[in-house]
Amino acid sequence: MTATLTHTRPVRRQRWDRRLQWVAVHSLGVALGIMFTLPVVFVLLTAVMASDQAMSSSLWPTQWRFDNFVKVFERAPMLDYLVNSFTYSLLATAGILLSAIPAAYALSKIRWRGQNVFFMLTVAAMMLPPQVVTVPLYDLWVRLGLTGTLVPLIAPYFLFDAFSVFLLRQFFLTIPRDYIEAAKIDGCSEFQAMVRVLVPMAKPGIAATMMFCFLYTWNDYFGPLLYTGENRDSWPLSLALASFRGMHHVEWNLTMAATAVVMAPAIVLFVFAQKSFVRGITFTGVKG
Amino acid sequence: MRTTITAWRLRRGMTLVSAASVLLLTACSAAAGGSGDGDGPAAAPNKDDKISLVVYSKFTNREYPVVSAGLNRLKAKFPNIEIKHEGSQDDDKLTQSIRGGNPPDVAISFFTDNLGAWCSNGSFVDLKPYIDRDKVDLNVIPEAVRSYTEFRGKRCAMPMLADVYGFFYNKDMFAAAGLSAPPKNTTELFDHAKRLTQLNPDGSIRVAGFLPTMPFYNNQAQIWAPNWDARWLGPDGKSNLAASAEWKEMFTFQKKLIDFYGHDRLAKFKAGLGDEYSEDHAFHRGKIAMMFDGEYRTAFLKEQAPNVKYGTASPPVSDSKPNRYGGAFTTGTIIAIPKGAKNPGAAWELIKQMSLDTDTLVELGNGLKNVPSTMAALRDPRLEVDENYRPFLTMFDGGKLLPNPTTPIGDAHLKAVNDFAERWQAGREPDLEAGLRKVDAQINDELAQKGGGR
Amino acid sequence: MTATVPRTRVNAAARPARKVPRRDRRRRLTVLAFMAPAVLGFVVFFGYPLLATVYYSFTRYDLVNEPEWIGLGNYIRMFTSEPLVAVAAWNTLWLVVVLTLTRVLFALGVALVIARLKSGVGLIRTLCYLPALAPPAAATLAFVFMFNPEFGPVNRFLRLLGIDGGLWFNDPAMSKPALTLLVLWGSGELMIIILAALLDVPVSQYEAAELDGAGPIRRFRHVTLPSISPVLLFGVVNSIIFALQFFTQAIVAGGVASGSADVAGNTKYIGSPENSTLTYPVWLYVQGFRYFNMGYAAAMAVLLFVVSFAFTAVLVHQLRRASSAEENA
Repeated sequence: MTATLTHTRPVRRQRWDRRLQWVAVHSLGVALGIMFTLPVVFVLLTAVMASDQAMSSSLWPTQWRFDNFVKVFERAPMLDYLVNSFTYSLLATAGILLSAIPAAYALSKIRWRGQNVFFMLTVAAMMLPPQVVTVPLYDLWVRLGLTGTLVPLIAPYFLFDAFSVFLLRQFFLTIPRDYIEAAKIDGCSEFQAMVRVLVPMAKPGIAATMMFCFLYTWNDYFGPLLYTGENRDSWPLSLALASFRGMHHVEWNLTMAATAVVMAPAIVLFVFAQKSFVRGITFTGVKG
Repeated sequence: MRTTITAWRLRRGMTLVSAASVLLLTACSAAAGGSGDGDGPAAAPNKDDKISLVVYSKFTNREYPVVSAGLNRLKAKFPNIEIKHEGSQDDDKLTQSIRGGNPPDVAISFFTDNLGAWCSNGSFVDLKPYIDRDKVDLNVIPEAVRSYTEFRGKRCAMPMLADVYGFFYNKDMFAAAGLSAPPKNTTELFDHAKRLTQLNPDGSIRVAGFLPTMPFYNNQAQIWAPNWDARWLGPDGKSNLAASAEWKEMFTFQKKLIDFYGHDRLAKFKAGLGDEYSEDHAFHRGKIAMMFDGEYRTAFLKEQAPNVKYGTASPPVSDSKPNRYGGAFTTGTIIAIPKGAKNPGAAWELIKQMSLDTDTLVELGNGLKNVPSTMAALRDPRLEVDENYRPFLTMFDGGKLLPNPTTPIGDAHLKAVNDFAERWQAGREPDLEAGLRKVDAQINDELAQKGGGR
Repeated sequence: MTATVPRTRVNAAARPARKVPRRDRRRRLTVLAFMAPAVLGFVVFFGYPLLATVYYSFTRYDLVNEPEWIGLGNYIRMFTSEPLVAVAAWNTLWLVVVLTLTRVLFALGVALVIARLKSGVGLIRTLCYLPALAPPAAATLAFVFMFNPEFGPVNRFLRLLGIDGGLWFNDPAMSKPALTLLVLWGSGELMIIILAALLDVPVSQYEAAELDGAGPIRRFRHVTLPSISPVLLFGVVNSIIFALQFFTQAIVAGGVASGSADVAGNTKYIGSPENSTLTYPVWLYVQGFRYFNMGYAAAMAVLLFVVSFAFTAVLVHQLRRASSAEENA
């Protein structure tokens, strides 16, 4: 921390300072790592406790009840919830592949009037609190008789998902247009250029976008609460979890076991695709 | 060649746009609702009709199969009817399903909180044409029960079973504290609570004689209010708690108990208690010695905590209203046909059976430990009555029951009072009357919002 | 970060010198085909509902009976007789100010530490980011459990230190700070964005500043801050929007901590304790989809739209500047 005065100090002192700084920064880093991990550790430890221990003042399980994870599935139709969650997340992710890639292509690789306007509208849509438009949308889905199903949640992804369009456009911009032009000189149509040239080159970006879409829908609570709240058969995990304790009269240990189950897929996904994730996140930041 | 492909693609795009706009137009002109909205009653089904009836209720775990069995008794009359009983459906989900146009054929609600809303906006079908057609005599149902199942003279629900909220006390703890009889008035309640409370060495609460925190378990304003003779609406149909001596007395008493324990200490104690319907309920675990609760608790205690020795009685009443003793808060499970139900005719047959058939009611009463809502079932010798259940039947027959007011605002008035109670017990509402005026303003605002000529 | 974005402009020479009308038309058709779903989606899911919300805000509508025009009635109710909308707006304002400040500063602080790490960067970065992936409903449940005043590990730990821990989610004064901690725990995304920006600052600039005798604080102010300020602005706007639509954590925490049997199902307990977790979007949801005052909810939505649009405009403006800078580069 005294780096300014280094040139007036003996070299040994300087080395000592650097070492001290190294220790300070690294212990801070380790402390942060532990801090961020502790809640998950608590969840996992409580998940394998006996029920009366979960509400007592001990941190370490006295008996390891791994069957709690089985019990969770017995007490509640967790499997149904799991299927609903996967239906919502996988279909939505498939939806953006069909809808967002062409839109992002048109926004980044073809020049047309209104391009900028639509891009700004996309950003505005991305930033819009979802509660603003819910009244007419709910009304619309009611009139179509589709509330209580997953359709109102999934359908929009097959037309327009602002965040995916935004993110893909940012990715596509990094791919030089020369490749597209070359493909077109070889006789490709825009569609062929997109499918054969751009998509293979943008795979990491597309993968990151898909993962964000999967995660967002997996974690979504407001949408399912609004549209599927009335019909338990359509509940995804996130919604079921919040009502889990009250509805199924379960104890804290089982609640934490269920919490761990809900957290797991996201974490597994991350472990397998950490690089894409980090790349994707940095792209959501505004380029300065 | 390529041009034609793109043009085709474009046309397809256009078709999509126009298809969607057509969809929107038709969507906007289509009214929500279904076949249940006709003027006359829907015909009863033929004996062998194959019908699938969807029933929503809030029953879970232990109670769910009992109710399913009761519902399936309809098969004796209509052997080909299939009943799809969906438990765990609370009022909010039911409302959403009706507004969403996907209602069940039969709706069962635990409470009458939302009856006014459902009746006034037409969410429930008016049952009068059915009652007239089948010449049903409603006088077999006690008067108080009839009053809480209709709204401004409109009968859009039938009672299924009734709940009466009495008083539970732990006999072992009473004996240990040298107490013999349950309290009859608030002075005794306060005194008992003090004597039954035990503290840990660090000063935290080990056992609370009586937990006064509101809202928690059945410490709900509507359940307490009858014991103080406190009424919700004035003669003008508006909320006027601020002018009511009874409400003030009730909250003053509650605050006295809160102060005896200390608000923060109570809050910590409360946070460590188990859920209302779980095995960890504080009364099951011996963490509270007395409480207000419904008659159905006897069944929970029997199954989840058979070793707890307890007694039941009429709830203690305000010192200034000794003649209220023997009265209690009553509400009940209601059963109705939602607007848009697909098989209203068959639904009515099921409702008749669930609300009027003595055999079904006795079976449900025994299984759920709820009070049957017809006189015939109430007096039926097959109804199992033990010493802990009898006080509830006595109260039910005693004529001093007070139900919730049926208003079109659902449970908004309960939220308003709960909000106030939280602030009041934390000491953040120094002026009782001013605080209650705010509650009145909130309730009356919501009443006005719903009033609007409808 | 500019450095990571390669130029995308093509040479003017690569473009055809003369516009071929036929080709031009074909390109237009292609654009139309590519954009049709997105435009349709935008119209159906954003354009139409935005306009319809404004219409509904002038009506009384309960989804059962047809909407009834009541003029400014809902707005008058909002500003005069309905008491909880002000409480809800205050809670959201609190979150906008406190969440935004703490989230940006915390993410910056953590990113600064990680940027200085020489070994174990990957592991620490992963650990700090992982909580951001946890579903908010699950994370909230975990936090309500951890902060349980009676048996939660946080208060037990504080007790070891001789501190009497608070009531957290059961105390109206502590519930929003507890929610803030929950958000900070999951702020990994912003952290990574800031970290990337930090690592993009050219080392040569630091070296130059160090040669000029600038201390760490001055180097931070004069080198780091200017280079990452666009990302920080993004973080601020993003956090404000996040706070404006804060819903899941609030509604779940209020329900679970109240100890009610129906966690998120029971309207009576939403906002517990003492409406301190009743955020503006939560109250909008209750008014619209629990009390079915759809017209009133629409009026609340219009107000929310106006406020959030103001902040969005800032971001859009910045994006515009960035893309025009790109154009001129």
